[in-house]
Amino acid sequence: MVAALLGAIGIWLLLPRGRVRGRLLGLALGAVSLGLLASQMPGLGDWVAQSLFVILAGVTIVSAAAAITLRNPVYAAISFGMSLLGTAGLLLFQGAQFLAVATIVVYAGAILVIFLFLLMLAEPGGRAPYDRLTWEGLVSAFAGAFTAGILAMTVTCTLVPRAGSLELSKREPPEPPVAVTHEQREQGILAYNHVEQIGRALFDRPQPTPAGQSPGPGYLVAVEVAGVLLLAALVGAAVIVGRGRGSLPRPRAKTAGFSSRGGPPDA
Amino acid sequence: MHDAELALLSNYLVVGAILFGLGVIGFLSRRNMIVMFLAVEMMLQGVSLSLVAWGRFYNDLAGQVLVLFIIALAACEAALALALIVVLFRRRGTLDVIAWQDLREADQPPYAEEALPEEPAELPPRWPRLTPAGVPPEIPREQTDYRPHV
Repeated sequence: MVAALLGAIGIWLLLPRGRVRGRLLGLALGAVSLGLLASQMPGLGDWVAQSLFVILAGVTIVSAAAAITLRNPVYAAISFGMSLLGTAGLLLFQGAQFLAVATIVVYAGAILVIFLFLLMLAEPGGRAPYDRLTWEGLVSAFAGAFTAGILAMTVTCTLVPRAGSLELSKREPPEPPVAVTHEQREQGILAYNHVEQIGRALFDRPQPTPAGQSPGPGYLVAVEVAGVLLLAALVGAAVIVGRGRGSLPRPRAKTAGFSSRGGPPDA
Repeated sequence: MHDAELALLSNYLVVGAILFGLGVIGFLSRRNMIVMFLAVEMMLQGVSLSLVAWGRFYNDLAGQVLVLFIIALAACEAALALALIVVLFRRRGTLDVIAWQDLREADQPPYAEEALPEEPAELPPRWPRLTPAGVPPEIPREQTDYRPHV
């Protein structure tokens, strides 16, 4: 919680307020809060895994903070892309290879490029007053830090057994309802044919499992609905932009030499 | 091994919560519409991280399937929101949200623009100069007129 509060003050100092004062202090406070947070994280056992996780999470969080605090929106978009790469690395660290690649392709490849196009269209370069000023920086920084701090404190209190930090954490940690062994994970979610398994989970009809459990949910209808949603969003975006521009200019038959249907000129 | 998995889960949940919180801060405080939209995407990233972590913990692919749906939804949202931003930019000629502050509630006071200190104008770039050494070369006068420095 202390880390969240320090981080809130650091972010508030880092947010653009029209002046350059206090950004160094904000950087220092953010670094201190990240260090506090990293020291409170439970170890992963293996030091290679631990350092890899710390590096990936650090890249993700620092560049996310840079994305919301940098003044130039182009730099903000680029550091958001960096944070996306960190997120993809974190997903890869969990064994979700397909999602990591999909994140890079869809977000960093498509969405971020459209962002950059739009930013080039507007082209303020960080000098516009709406990039130099934020509104209610202190309140929103504390709101976000409150959200993150409450969530993180809930997680650490209920999942991680630690003696003496809080009253809540002195009790025994709750047993997870399903104890999954590593061998089961290697056959399930960490399997070698991971993409095939995701495809089966998406498109197969749900099979009743032999252990008397109910069959898992099938996602075929949901996939179709998502496809229809994508199509509707595409058509909707085209309609919105086209309507904002007014009616399309119509080619004139006499000057162009042929009609708008592309056929031969009808005399 | 089970403790390591538990630690992995809680670490990922904390990182996801921080990403979500940063997205909340960015959405609430920035005034550029595109940066606000970036912050929304950042919140979605945080949620995706925690979904994948729970999916690994319970050995269930449903978490990753849900993240796939989140990605599809984010693509839809990006298309629609960027189309809206283009239309709004055409109407007012700015990406500032405050240009649309007449949509606020009736009893709210209008936002007064804070006076900003003037930004210093961009200086012309200063190129490095080499310190002169050796015998000065003979350069004809008409060349030095057009080449003030190399």
